[in-house]
Amino acid sequence: MRPSRLNKPWPVPVQVGPDGAPSAVGRLAVESVREEWLVEDGWWTQRPLRRRYFELVLEDGSDVVVFREPDTGRWYRQRD
Amino acid sequence: MPVTVALIPRFRLIAALGGPSSGAGGAHPLLGRPAALAPEPGAAQLIGEVSAPAEKLGLRSGMRLGEALSRCPELALVPPDPERAERSWEEALRRLEGIGAEIESTRPGEAFFEAGGLTGLWGGIEGVLKAARHELGASTCFGAGPSRFCAYAAAKTSGGLVSEGAAREFLDPLPVSLLCGRLGDKEEADDLPNELERLGISTLGRLAGLPRDAVADRFGRLGLRARRLARGEDEPLRPRPMREAIAVELELPEAVTGLQLERALELLISRLLTHPERRGRALRALCLSARLAAGGGWRCRVALRRASANGLRLADALLPHLGRLPAPAATLRLEAMSLGPETGEQLSLASPDEERRQRISEAVRQTRSAAGPDSVLRVLEVDPDSHVPERREVLMPFPEERPV
Repeated sequence: MRPSRLNKPWPVPVQVGPDGAPSAVGRLAVESVREEWLVEDGWWTQRPLRRRYFELVLEDGSDVVVFREPDTGRWYRQRD
Repeated sequence: MPVTVALIPRFRLIAALGGPSSGAGGAHPLLGRPAALAPEPGAAQLIGEVSAPAEKLGLRSGMRLGEALSRCPELALVPPDPERAERSWEEALRRLEGIGAEIESTRPGEAFFEAGGLTGLWGGIEGVLKAARHELGASTCFGAGPSRFCAYAAAKTSGGLVSEGAAREFLDPLPVSLLCGRLGDKEEADDLPNELERLGISTLGRLAGLPRDAVADRFGRLGLRARRLARGEDEPLRPRPMREAIAVELELPEAVTGLQLERALELLISRLLTHPERRGRALRALCLSARLAAGGGWRCRVALRRASANGLRLADALLPHLGRLPAPAATLRLEAMSLGPETGEQLSLASPDEERRQRISEAVRQTRSAAGPDSVLRVLEVDPDSHVPERREVLMPFPEERPV
């Protein structure tokens, strides 16, 4: 068996508000944005990594972390 | 073979009051007024044994404290002393075993034994009872009958001997309240006699006459047991094994708790391990007890998973129990309740770490053979401080050591 990574991100449908922040994740509306941060890594390589993370509180009270890849525009959810 | 019972009423209450000779005129003055054993610290709020005046007011052992105080506001609550009660009762049982009796005793103040094998030795059943009375004292009630419950009922009511064929005839007119405390330790066991009385089944004879299926439907397993007892049927006695008294005690100069108490326990463990009567045997079960500085006692029985004569292992098993001590202790006592084989512990050639690794490897091998090669994995930290969560840890196969 080869080593496999933990905490891999998975795609998730996210609706975005006028300010660019998520307004809903799946069917659940976003109650509040707790934190927002940018991760840039490997910019000196052929495969740079750039993600804008959001820590959100959804309407059911759950706390989730999602990020958007600016290059592709795709949204992912991830455990932090 | 008649079953004989020796009953010392209110034994635990008397022990908590300092023993039978603590009062000026023999009995303690509190026994002459409504008194009961207070609930044990940390246990359910139920009173223990009650004095005769309290019993006349309708109080009984196992009653809720609030109910007892509302029935009898002047009730005196006596702090329980299980340590003194158990120790005094153990001494009494050893005296009784001295006449040749094989004893079953599940609570202080109550001992059952088969008298049949002793009649030749003591000149009949009367001789056996006389010898037992001589060992336990004049305040002991005796009864004998074909079953445990029948003997108990005889001791509680008239005393004397109930012959083999007369058990039903003897039990039939007696009240069902005699079943209190005879059906087990559960709360509903004590409630059953009250429920029977409420339904108009006031005597053992009426209970014994009910159809078995009806009793099973209405009262379940407890009801069936009660019916069997009422019919004079019971399981055979299970006498306790004979055991030696190996105990060490330490009087503490001042009431101590915490670290000092732990040191005292370690000293007791060392003394017990060097006790000459241990004769190289490992210890299987221990009893840790204490007399409390403020009065009363505390007792805790600890059974080891594996018999051991290793001081560190014994300390590991016993030290956590010191935290349950309800108050500072004045004396601490450690007793060996059960001993293991004389060969002592089989020490391993491997070190504890090595042994642990081998056992884990064996568990991994067994799990993989049962659930597949990917069933046991471990998390390996690769870059725990990375900003990218999926780079922090990876899942790896758990390394398996090959047997040498």
